[in-house]
This record gives sequence, structure tokens and C-alpha cells, in this order.
Amino acid sequence: MFQLMRNIHLGLGLIFVLMALVFAISSLVIIYRPLLNTTPQDTETAVRLSPDDAASPRVAARVLMTAHGFKGDLRQIQEQGDTVRFRIVRPGEAAEVEYARSTGEARIKKKRQGALETLVHLHTNHGLWHEYAPSNLWASISLLASAGLLLLGATGIYLWFAHHSERVIGGILLGSGLVFGLVTLYLTRLQQ
Amino acid sequence: MKTQLLYEWTKKIHMYSGLLTFTAFVVWGVTGIHAVFLAPPGEYKPPPVSSVREIPYKAAGGLDDQQLAKAIFETVAIPLAGGRYNVHRDEQSNLAFNVFTINGGREVTFLEEAGIVRVAHRANSLWSYLSSMHTAHSRRHRLTASVIAWGYFNELATWAFLFMTISGLYMWIATRPGLRWAQLSLGGMGVLTLALWIAIR
Repeated sequence: MFQLMRNIHLGLGLIFVLMALVFAISSLVIIYRPLLNTTPQDTETAVRLSPDDAASPRVAARVLMTAHGFKGDLRQIQEQGDTVRFRIVRPGEAAEVEYARSTGEARIKKKRQGALETLVHLHTNHGLWHEYAPSNLWASISLLASAGLLLLGATGIYLWFAHHSERVIGGILLGSGLVFGLVTLYLTRLQQ
Repeated sequence: MKTQLLYEWTKKIHMYSGLLTFTAFVVWGVTGIHAVFLAPPGEYKPPPVSSVREIPYKAAGGLDDQQLAKAIFETVAIPLAGGRYNVHRDEQSNLAFNVFTINGGREVTFLEEAGIVRVAHRANSLWSYLSSMHTAHSRRHRLTASVIAWGYFNELATWAFLFMTISGLYMWIATRPGLRWAQLSLGGMGVLTLALWIAIR
């Protein structure tokens, strides 16, 4: 049993080691963001859409994705008279598109994040409803990694308990962490 | 001898770190699973109103909507209030705004003619609560002693998690680097993760 648990612990740890690094590093980026230079790179481009492409925001977005290299989910379509606005978003990059239906003239403001902020976007990327397949795949792996984290915790507890010489110190640490964590969570929940 | 000592201490600290911060890992794991089932943007439905309280309030005549919203926000003193947003006039032209809290949002409406501030609470689920708490750290949600204490604990757990990830890798290399299935686990998932990173970038 010990060997089985040890192997499960190792296997889960190795399978999710890169995901664990993504989550850990992105959490530290969030905490220490004021100390880091995570300014995105802004660029602006102009594109002319054909009358057929400009007729529908979805068609226009598809053209921008297939012919101009923009990738991601299509979001926040707004139509006001002749003006159409939407965003194409993926972890680490967002393109804000505005075009005139009558002329097909499109202005695209692209905000591209650096590697650290992209890690943060991946950390917060959730749900299986994305039109952009890599976002769905990433969210699926995140789901597995979250379940894996719980299993790593459970197997870790088993492995610790099997080390008889570590039971006292480990028990104190586990108990302290549980009491501290649960009490602070409970007290905060009471503040309705 | 030195290598053995390094391994023994790394293993000890790896184990102690995990035991001490186990509660935070459970919160993260649960939050990560819950997040997958959240509604997409634009389809979020707030939880139902769980309670309403009304507070007598008389507005000073010289305040604009933003200033009045700030004055009401300070008067109603909502526990764990993280800030007000969406200051607007509702269908009956009453001043209204929203307040975020870790324990669920509040909808604040000032019924000016009646001289009443109505605070509607939409208490969130335990899962949403844990999701909010998993974002706490030493600089975020500094509201009350309990949430500040949790924030420090959560931040400590983040460092512990990073340490355990790296030390776990080290312990595998130090003891059983030749395990074929372990190499395949690391390699297979590593390739998939890197491929996804390249695709997204």
C-alpha cells in the first residue's frame, strides 16, 4: 500500500509539475505585481474589410482570425448605427476591433501581455465554453490539476502518517494549519 | 554524505510544508474544480436575495450621485465591503449601487422620498466564498483580522507550493530517476503543456 501511494504521489506530481509551476508563479505575480514591470505591449493596426465581411461582426471576426492572425474568443459585440465593436480575447492577448460597416475600415488595438501576465491569464482561464479550443483544453487540464492537487494532498497525508518518527511534529503542523485555516475561514464567513 | 543530508532535509521540509498548508491546498483544489463550472461571461446569474435591511437616512442637499453613494456606503458599513461600483439611477430614479463582499454582493438603493437606504444581500454559496478566499494574500482583502490572517496563510501556502513542486522534482531525481512511467508522465504532460503555451502565445 505504501509503495502504491508513493507511486501515485510521484506520478501526480510529475504529471502536473508544469501546471503547478504555472499556478505558483502566476500567484506570486499577482501578489507582487506592484514590484514587477508587467506593462503590456500596445499596437494599433488598420485593416480594410470587404462589404461582405463587414456585414456581420462574426464574419468580420472570422476574417481577422483566419487572414490576419488574431486568435481567441469573440466577445462583447456592440453595434451602434454604422459602427461595430468587438473583442477577440485569449490568454495573454486582447484585440479591440472597431469598424465602420459602410466603409469596412477597421481599427484594431492589440494589447499583448508578457509571459508573466500570460501566466496569470492562464491561471484565471476557466470554463469549457470557449470558442477558442486551446482555452478549453487548458481549462480541462486545470480541472485535472485541481483534482490532482487534492489527491496529492491525500496521498501526502498517508505517506507522512506512514513515517512513524514524523507523526508528532507532522501532527502538530497539520493540526496547527487546519485549526488556523478553518478558524480564519469560519470567522470570515460569519461576517455577513 | 552531504547529498544524503540534503535529501533528508529536503524531504522533511517538503513534508512539513505540505502538512502546515494542507488547508489552503484543499481550498485551491475545490476552487479550481468549481471554476470549471462557472457561467461564461454575460451569462452570470447572481444568487437570490437572502436578506434585506433598511436604514433611515437623510441625504445632504449639496451632494451629487457619486458623493452621495460614497456617503451612504460609509454609513451603511457593510461587513467586508470591497468597494462600491455601478453607481446609477434605477427605473424609479432612485440612486442605486452595488457593493462587492467576500460573502456575497449587496445591492444598495436609496429611497430618497421615504428617507430609507435599502440593502439587499445576495449571500453567495460556500464554493463562491472559498473562491474569493483563495485570492486573498498579504496585500488583498485587508479588511478584518480573520481575513488578513488567512491572506498571510494563503501567501505562505503559495511559497510552500512552489517549494514543494521544485523539491518534489529534486527528490524524484535523487531517488528514482530511472522509472520509465515517471519519465513518460513528466515528458508527456510537459510536451502537452508546452505545446499549449506555444499555441496560445
